[in-house]
Amino acid sequence: MNDRPDAEPYNYEEFVGSEDFLAFRTALPVGSPAPDFAATLLATGEIVCLSDFWRERDVLIEFGSLT
Amino acid sequence: MAHQYADKGIEFLFVYTREAHPGEHYPAHRSFEQKLAQARAFQTLLNVERPILVDDFEGTGHRQYGMLPNMTYLVGLGGRVLFRADWTDPPTIVTALEYVLACRARRREGLRLAPFYAEIVGQRWNDQAKFQEGLERAGPKAVEEFARATQQTWPELWGSPSVLVHRVN
Repeated sequence: MNDRPDAEPYNYEEFVGSEDFLAFRTALPVGSPAPDFAATLLATGEIVCLSDFWRERDVLIEFGSLT
Repeated sequence: MAHQYADKGIEFLFVYTREAHPGEHYPAHRSFEQKLAQARAFQTLLNVERPILVDDFEGTGHRQYGMLPNMTYLVGLGGRVLFRADWTDPPTIVTALEYVLACRARRREGLRLAPFYAEIVGQRWNDQAKFQEGLERAGPKAVEEFARATQQTWPELWGSPSVLVHRVN
């Protein structure tokens, strides 16, 4: 899914350094409700929601990849 | 760190996203099955003990949080963003967690506290050797592309007045 027809695909093949660090600053300010999403828990393969975690506790979430 | 804060009510999660520097050894994802396999490789190679959540193939979760390659968010019990950073820096995370816990302790002691909005320019350790090691693990392609991108894109970005804060700090 591209945001624009000419935009690079989400899973880009080539790193060109197009990450938008400036847009990040205003994207989701502290104090706002955290967006919920469903993801696959690697250990079990089950689909879980982030809100399953923050309903019970504080949650420190790191985003990243192998590379 | 996850162990240290587990008994203080803080859960640590890792959200696995697209590959930031796809290379010959760990290429860009072409299917969700491949994404799962590389998430497993990530877990094994880096000895990740935290629960790993694999975002969907199109990065639905990653997009909602700003789509940067190595962000950190602290979401408080109930679902409000308490702290966010455009890069993951462990000492800064400890500082943020200790701040949140200290505020709660003071409130429990009866101090009247009111929430307010604050921002800070972080200072992270720029561990270039470790970063280079990561690129090399991905493959020569990743090394070359990063070198090219930093030559072409960064002088322009880092010279812009709106990001002066990065340069002066």
